[in-house]
This record gives sequence, C-alpha cells and structure tokens, in this order.
Amino acid sequence: MSDLRITEAFLYMDYLCFRALCCKGPPPARPEYDLVCIGLTGSGKTSLLSKLCSESPENVVSTTGFSIKAVPFQNAILNVKELGGADNIRKYWSRYYQGSQGVIFVLDSASSEDDLETARNELHSALQHPQLCTLPFLILANHQDKPAARSVQEIKKYFELEPLARGKRWILQPCSLDDMDALKDSFSQLINLLEEKDHEALRM
Amino acid sequence: MFISLWEFFYGHFFRFWMKWLLRQMTGKCELQRIFDTYVGAQRTHRIENSLTYSKNKVLQKATRVVQSEVDKCVDDIMKEKNINPEKDASFKICMKMCLLQITGYKQLYLDVESVRKRPYDSDNLQHEELLMKLWNLLMPTKKLNARISKQWAEIGFQGDDPKTDFRGMGILGLINLVYFSENYTSEAHQILSRSNHPKLGYSYAIVGINLTEMAYSLLKSEALKFHLYNFVPGIPTMEHFHQFY
Repeated sequence: MSDLRITEAFLYMDYLCFRALCCKGPPPARPEYDLVCIGLTGSGKTSLLSKLCSESPENVVSTTGFSIKAVPFQNAILNVKELGGADNIRKYWSRYYQGSQGVIFVLDSASSEDDLETARNELHSALQHPQLCTLPFLILANHQDKPAARSVQEIKKYFELEPLARGKRWILQPCSLDDMDALKDSFSQLINLLEEKDHEALRM
Repeated sequence: MFISLWEFFYGHFFRFWMKWLLRQMTGKCELQRIFDTYVGAQRTHRIENSLTYSKNKVLQKATRVVQSEVDKCVDDIMKEKNINPEKDASFKICMKMCLLQITGYKQLYLDVESVRKRPYDSDNLQHEELLMKLWNLLMPTKKLNARISKQWAEIGFQGDDPKTDFRGMGILGLINLVYFSENYTSEAHQILSRSNHPKLGYSYAIVGINLTEMAYSLLKSEALKFHLYNFVPGIPTMEHFHQFY
C-alpha cells in the first residue's frame, strides 16, 4: 500500500518538474468537499472507500471510532469522514455531522429484516437531522453480488425514499465491491450535486 | 524519478568502486567490515542490504535460503569471498546467525500471512473452541447463555455473532486475543474493565483486532525488522509475533 503511494508521489513530482521546465504554472487545484459516511456495521463502508483509494480491501477490520480518507477523483477530492457502525458508536454519529457538505449512506442489501429495519430508522433520522437535511445524499445499496440481495426497487419502496426524501437531492445506487465503474459513476453524480450546491451558495 | 536514477547509478558504478577501494585499504571484504563495525539489528540489516544489492549470484540467493541449507550457504559465501576460516573464526558463526535471522523473518511473515488468510469458520470445531476459551478466560464468573447472544458485547464484539468482526484478520485476530488473555490474564481483565467505562470506554475485542492489523502491517512493511533482530538471537517464531502483540 505504501509502495503505491510513494510511486504516485514520485510520478506527481515528475509531472511538476515537467511543468516547471516548460514554463507552465502549477496545475489548477481540484475543489475539495467534506463528506460523512455512515451505515450499519458490516455494510461495507471501509472496504468501498479503500477500493476507491486503490487500496486492497483484504486487510480491512471493523472501524472503531472513525477514520478520515481523502478520496481522489478526476474533478474533485472528497474528504470522507467514515464513522463506525456498531451500536455503541451509532449514538455519537450526530457529533460528527458539523461541517459536512454531503452524506454517503451504505447499506447491506442482503442483510436480515431486523438489520434492514434498523438501517431504515438510521437513514430516516439522518434525513431529518437539522445539520444534514439540506445536504445531498448518496445511498449505496451494497453487497449486490450476494444471492439474497434485494433489488433497487425493493429498497426504494422499503426505505420510503420517494415520499420521505421529497424536495431533497438523493441518488440510490446498487453496487458491490466487484463493480467499481458503477460506483465511480455514482460518485461523479454526487460531485455534480455538490458543485451545484456550491454555485447556488455563491450566487446567494 | 531522481531516486530511481540514483539507485541505478549507485548499484552499478559507485558502489563497486567504493568497495574495491575499501577492500584494498583494509584487506577485508564488505561483509567482514560490517561484522567488525556494527552489532545487533544494525549489523543484520546492513548484511541484508549488502547481500541484496550484490551482483554475485551466490550472495543474492543467500537471503532466500532454506533453514536446513544455511550452513552450506555460509561455506559457499566464504569460498566466494576468499575468507580464510583460520584467520577469521567468528565470521562463520556471525554469518550463520544473520542468515538465520534474515530468512527467519521472511518465513515468519509467510506463516503469519497463512494464518491471517484463514477466515473464522463456525463449522470448524477448533475455531469454536478458541472462541469459547476467550469467553471463559475473560469472563470466568459468567456463563454464556447461547453461542449467538447479546452477551458478546460485554467483551467488545459488535454484534450477536463474533464471526462478523474478524474480517480481514481472520483467525489470527482470535489467536492473538486468546494468547493475551491466557498469558497476561490479570492485565487483560484490567483492560477489559476499563474498556467498559460508560464515557471513556471502547470495544475491547474490536480494538484488539485493530491492534492485530497494526502488528501485521508493521511485519509486512518490514518495520518490525529492527525490533525482531534485536530481540531474537535466532529464528523469530509465531510466539515472538504474539509477544510483540
């Protein structure tokens, strides 16, 4: 993992040297957005973010507390604050919402009925929380590769997204660890939503 | 880019001339000079670098030799470098020890990796016994109501079934936890009671598994080399990994 980072760092330094030699200025900085990533334990938050950062999700362990990752995309950098999903940590989620510009909610599409109900309650509280209710939501229905995974339609209906999230901006995306392209696509859509919000704020 | 350029330059030209000069001046090859100047982990580390960068095939292969062939390998090295066993008696012993440490570290990493790759299996009796052992060691006075119950949260597992918490560390996480509880029982109990503090607490077992991940990353990234080279005069074993944990 660290070898890859070092190689990337050297490639970037070479790129900077090249630009300096050709008398071009430093490349334009990509905009950064602060996001918060929540979801029940075992839904796959840490694994998805590791894969997006080109790290192997093989050594992932349960997150205690939280972890911050800077996920690079072509047109933006997302600073994601990922919160652990265990029962004893969930009650502290709201303390981390301050300063977020967007929310990523990950759920396990193949989990039991009880777990799905708990996930629904958490999603609803998040949608209605005063610090999050105006922000764009990216809802990832993870573990779609499992046979017991519920479809996007079932999830949309069960989570009552149409009535509850009316007037808010949200994206529901089915995904799994094997399909990175669909995942990156959904993140591009989220970045577009974040940029729109930025432009709105500037106009006001 | 500049670092790789330097490495190429160093490996092919500079190093060769430096070594030739030093050999003329001191009459000893690089390996002998290292034995004279350094001790402990520094020495083993420098020997390892010297062998890896060497252009001589016998020396390069030395870092990957199997335990049973270490003696033969040391003899081969002495022949290659024209080292007289009568004049420099300690060379053989020192070289053997260094090679054992170097190859032992690599072997330890492979052993740890193979244990880590084994996921926790509910159908495997040994795994189940280990889990029950962990409960009995940490909670000697309480009886577990059922294999799947909310009681697991008392020792810091996240759900009803501890199986879901082992993830990337597999059975290695459980073995580390049991090792700590077995060999340092009173300390484990103290830490467990502190972890259950309502405000300042944390999940004991989950943090334990995170520590396993940390120890494993250090082993993998070779940061553990200096510690093990200093601490273990011979071949590092799983026991030493557990002790480090």
